[in-house]
Amino acid sequence: MDSHAEHATDTHGHAHPELGFIRKYVFSEDHKIIGVQFLFTSIIFLGLGGILALLVRIQLAWPHAEIPLIHNYFADNGGRMSESFYNMCFTMHASVMIFFVIIPFLTGAFGNFTIPLMIGAGDMAFPKLNMMSYWILWPAFVLISFSFFVDGGAAASGWTAYPTISSVAMPAGQGLASPAAPGSGPGQVLWLLSLLCVGVSSMMGSVNYITTIINMRAPGMTLYRMPMTIWAMFITAILQAFALPVLTVALILQTLDKTIGTTFFLPDGLSFGNWSPEVGGGQPLLWQHLFWFYSHPAVYIMILPSMGMVSDILATFARRPLFGYRAMIYSIAGIAGLGFIVWGHHMFQSGMDPRLGTGFMVATIMIALPSAIKTFNWLGTIYRGNLQFTTPMLFALGFVSLFIIGGLSGIFMAATPVDIYIHDTYFIVAHIHYVLFASSLLGIFGGIYYWFPKMFGKMMNDNVGKAHFFLTFVLCNCTFFPMHMVGLAGLRRRIPDITAGALEAKLLPLNEFMSISALLLGLAQLIFVANFLWSIFFGAKASQNPWKSNTLEWTTGDPVPGHGNFDTVPIVHCGPYEYGEHGDKDNCPQTEKSTTPATH
Amino acid sequence: MGNKGWSVLFGVTMLACAIGFGISPLMGWWMPEGVSTHAGAVDGLFYLILVVTTIAFVITEVILVVFMWRYAETPDGKPPIAANAGFPSFLKPFERFLNDQHKVELAWTIVPSIVLVVIVFAQVNTWADIKYATRNRNDATAANKARSQVAVSARQFEWRMRYPSVSRFKGWMANPAATRKDFESFGKIPHFNDVHVVNELHIWKDHPVVVHLTTRDVIHSFNLPNFRVKQDALPGKMIPVWFTPTKVNCKWDESRQRYIDGYDPAGKKEKDKEYTWDIACAELCGWGHYRMIGRVFVHKDQAEFLDWLQKTEAEGTRRN
Repeated sequence: MDSHAEHATDTHGHAHPELGFIRKYVFSEDHKIIGVQFLFTSIIFLGLGGILALLVRIQLAWPHAEIPLIHNYFADNGGRMSESFYNMCFTMHASVMIFFVIIPFLTGAFGNFTIPLMIGAGDMAFPKLNMMSYWILWPAFVLISFSFFVDGGAAASGWTAYPTISSVAMPAGQGLASPAAPGSGPGQVLWLLSLLCVGVSSMMGSVNYITTIINMRAPGMTLYRMPMTIWAMFITAILQAFALPVLTVALILQTLDKTIGTTFFLPDGLSFGNWSPEVGGGQPLLWQHLFWFYSHPAVYIMILPSMGMVSDILATFARRPLFGYRAMIYSIAGIAGLGFIVWGHHMFQSGMDPRLGTGFMVATIMIALPSAIKTFNWLGTIYRGNLQFTTPMLFALGFVSLFIIGGLSGIFMAATPVDIYIHDTYFIVAHIHYVLFASSLLGIFGGIYYWFPKMFGKMMNDNVGKAHFFLTFVLCNCTFFPMHMVGLAGLRRRIPDITAGALEAKLLPLNEFMSISALLLGLAQLIFVANFLWSIFFGAKASQNPWKSNTLEWTTGDPVPGHGNFDTVPIVHCGPYEYGEHGDKDNCPQTEKSTTPATH
Repeated sequence: MGNKGWSVLFGVTMLACAIGFGISPLMGWWMPEGVSTHAGAVDGLFYLILVVTTIAFVITEVILVVFMWRYAETPDGKPPIAANAGFPSFLKPFERFLNDQHKVELAWTIVPSIVLVVIVFAQVNTWADIKYATRNRNDATAANKARSQVAVSARQFEWRMRYPSVSRFKGWMANPAATRKDFESFGKIPHFNDVHVVNELHIWKDHPVVVHLTTRDVIHSFNLPNFRVKQDALPGKMIPVWFTPTKVNCKWDESRQRYIDGYDPAGKKEKDKEYTWDIACAELCGWGHYRMIGRVFVHKDQAEFLDWLQKTEAEGTRRN
């Protein structure tokens, strides 16, 4: 191991000539620049996804009102949003948030930025592959943005794109238009191609992360001295490497169904109006199996890195060792392992053999166990601590608090009989938003505030950050918590007009409350954007180790290290969490010899 | 905000969530009354999980908030407690246990796993009763035990129901053994004189029904929230759905010359929302998905159902 690390530093260490602007900041091979590139594009797409979410919320609360600002676009519909446009909004909201925001944020931005720095390497194992993993996203950006302007609009069959509504095609020679839904025409094809590019990007990233973590750790950085962020990135990368090929295959099959008339997912005997496809023989359920075989592990890809970052942030600002370090690693591994055998819980009501559902239920409910262990360990970490309520710490604590809700509500859906009632209601919408917004995104915000000094050499404004946290924490509960209640009352997901059903109409007042909260929540994020941009240029200068943290990224010579990261190869002497017990000094960087007996 | 203020913010927010959830049954933001035989079991399991998760929620959030209060850094930047401080007095008896990280870790692994295993095994039987074909075998040889059958074909954006004609139905009743083959193939083999109705599911109280569910275009979901029934309709496949209604919600309306639903037999109320039972499509199926809604009519007995079937068949014949 040691020789690898030294070799790596020799290659990437000092001998770089000065690069031009393009090679340094645009087509850069430096993992830190690539991480920041991922960060910026994710923030831009967060804005797009957020606007789509607000359009959805406006329609849900005021279903018969004119839509503000863009009502001219719907002149032939009385200024109101059309149903197909609504379907497009929530489909693209989910697709953008999952594939262009959360995953690039976590594995792209933070994975890239933290891995070499925190293990003491000069760069990734494959810097050129790393550069490609970012630039292959650009075709995806172009395709997905362009898809809003094609005939029929962007994809509108849900981010799950279940055939046959997504994939049925007109007879040869009649273009890409779909007989099932306007958005399932060219928009769907662009959606499929765009996701293919995202998948290739993630694949390149994951290969790189796995190799880097295995081969390029600094001397003394044993596996059990790695910070939780790196453990989480490592296990996430393995998840991606094994699950993504399946999604890629599924996307290609659906693209072929849509374009050249194959019928992988189209059975015999379909008919749309007066027209029936002549051939069939496919299986719509096959898509669901393939899709969820990736997309359930993807749920963990979207939460595990956040968990890792939160563990590091909690320990740093509690000035306490992380409680149960090994148990934390094993529980992440447990979640990831179980994550591969639970995909069927999305399909309890799908027509899959119900006996299979029983098996998937057992595995799914058992996933609550490692999640519970992690929560208890986070609580154990802050026990008897010296809690410093910085902005990143608040977001980490917010993560713990709201992940409890998101984790517990999952048990309801995992229980097959209970799922019969709450499947496809707002209860599941509440659950995913507690996990993805209130947990993953809060962890991401925490990570941005935490590593901002390392990325840009400046501090983000702490008071403004706290205001951002306060509003986000309160408003996201106002937005998402009532979804549990309306879901239990029978409100279906993915409907533009809630006054149609007997159970649903009375829920309008609660919907208005959620929508107003959502609009305010959206506005509150502008505080973050302002703070972020202002701090890059005018923020207070950061010191080398502003949080008095132990991990290696805070030991680089300059606050923002150049390409190659470390002037000399760091030598690791202790674990990452030795806080609080060193006499007059309350931390012990990993490069220093520990004065306390080893705990792990 | 002071250091201790953050624990107050967390505490108040979580308390507000808990209170909101607590009052929602009173506000009507809750599950509607279950009107099938298996609804009680499903709701019971829901409440079992609700109790367990509420306990877990309260314990973990209270600990989080208390720790945030107790261990907040003092305003002058000093640690709130000395590094070597002991446990508070009420925890003294457990001091040795709490100081052993392995034992603590083991305890909070074993206790939740036992609870989770209990939750898992509580589900298995109810799920099997509702969805397994082996538990819902149909006794086609005895008329009083045979399930009533409806073939439902979903399409954008309506539910097409096919009932047996009166003569086919009466044949099954009169001689179950001889008509067994016809009875069992009803879902797959339509007769030219079967009765077709759009968006209305007619069944009768306390008698089991099997719906043969198909779709001709995209995936739909046959969702009867009041009955705790949900099953996707999958293109290319016929899926059976079994349930037994336990309440009546329709009557003959003389002035309109048709059966109406939304009727509360006890209170004699009409157009009662609580007795209006939707078949609300639950799987995105296109622009009209939200309004792909049928209705369930539960008659008081087989005779009333047959009366409806007869009238509907006659109406169809007249039109032809």
